[in-house]
Amino acid sequence: MSHSDTIPLHPSSQSDIDEIENLINASVHQSVPSARPPSPPRASIPVSVSAAPSPFISSNLPPPPPLPKSSVSAVPPPPPPPRADISSSGFGSAPNTLTEPVWDTVKRDLSRIVSNLKLVVFPNPFREDPGKALRDWDLWGPFFFIVFLGLTLSWSASVKKSEVFAVAFALLAAGAVILTLNVLLLGGHIIFFQSLSLLGYCLFPLDVGALICMLKDNVIVKVVVVCVTLAWSSWAAYPFMSSAVNPRRKALALYPVFLMRGKTPQLHTNRKGQRYPSNIFS
Amino acid sequence: MDPNQPVGENYANPRTCFFHVLFKAAALAFYILSALFIDNFVIIFVVTVLLAALDFWVVKNVSGRILVGLRWWNEINDLGESVWKFECLDHESLARMNKKDSWLFWWTLYLTAILWIVLAIFSLIRLQADYLLVVGVCLTLSIANIVGFTKCKKDAKKQIQQFASQTIASRFSSTLQSAFSVV
Repeated sequence: MSHSDTIPLHPSSQSDIDEIENLINASVHQSVPSARPPSPPRASIPVSVSAAPSPFISSNLPPPPPLPKSSVSAVPPPPPPPRADISSSGFGSAPNTLTEPVWDTVKRDLSRIVSNLKLVVFPNPFREDPGKALRDWDLWGPFFFIVFLGLTLSWSASVKKSEVFAVAFALLAAGAVILTLNVLLLGGHIIFFQSLSLLGYCLFPLDVGALICMLKDNVIVKVVVVCVTLAWSSWAAYPFMSSAVNPRRKALALYPVFLMRGKTPQLHTNRKGQRYPSNIFS
Repeated sequence: MDPNQPVGENYANPRTCFFHVLFKAAALAFYILSALFIDNFVIIFVVTVLLAALDFWVVKNVSGRILVGLRWWNEINDLGESVWKFECLDHESLARMNKKDSWLFWWTLYLTAILWIVLAIFSLIRLQADYLLVVGVCLTLSIANIVGFTKCKKDAKKQIQQFASQTIASRFSSTLQSAFSVV
């Protein structure tokens, strides 16, 4: 009698163990999309904590009833986004960024641009491992620097300001793309947008140099400033581009970098518009 | 009761809808009108491109997550690989999104890209390479947002389907567990 009683309990307990394991796996999978820290309270986008999926509750199967219109109209409008800054971007991860205030987004983007700029202006702490530089990439800094450099060059030009600006912008934007593609085609391990971002931030010294050349008329000062900013810009870009390529092909990948860097400052000192097109395209 | 009911569902976020459209309209209007009245290419370029970039930021970071509950970005992980990240509200909040807001969001995205393409064709016909540069930049920003949000929407639907299937599976397991406990 006791022996016959113990026999059917064993497979039942085994099935229970299997079911518990399945439930644990299911709950783990379900908790992944909703595993977010609690968001700050915000009336415009209600994110109810009670709506978190539970493996033991099946009430989520039917679609939720639509929100009453009176409640919708009673919800206050969110704060306006005119505080959005032109030099900010949303690139970057943060816990539950969907319901954060607009100002937090702006601050995060601005702080990222500042930190990326420091990597170029000050000695790079990642020179030993350049892949870590500008891992948190954005294209707002490069965009602003290209526009600023184009504006400065076009103001310095005596005639054909439109041509100077258009050629400068196209040369800088396409140049960065060509440099990145050059490294990729040489079999380098590089990420397209990270490289674009780094090359764009390296234009900052050239921006400073162009501004100084515009304010000063002394030719000797111009030559010194151009040499300093050119060396600075190339020095900032060198470790990143060189480490991405096979050592045997390093020279092949770096030569276009110096070529482009050397071409850009030429635009500063050219004040005679008549010779401008021939200088660029010859 | 019928006369008291509202004619249609109003926009849930009229201010966000306004700014979502404002910068698009400003960039397009400034480009078209200044080509008629202003002869300085540099001013046309800078103002139009800055307005387009501002519109890109607002749509990507503000109106996208308020009007349709989606957000996307690209980042590099520890292995040095580029990863696209998509974020969306849980399906219950997504279901509560205002349909009119969503309609306005998607239609203005596509309409803006179409208008820039038309302007690009005009620049090509007139062989104006410099104005093609302006339109090229604005078109790139516009298409980037369309691609980003389309991928984000597909990812959101995939997550909802996974959630539904897991709910059914967990319900089935609960039923089995109840049956065994009864036995």
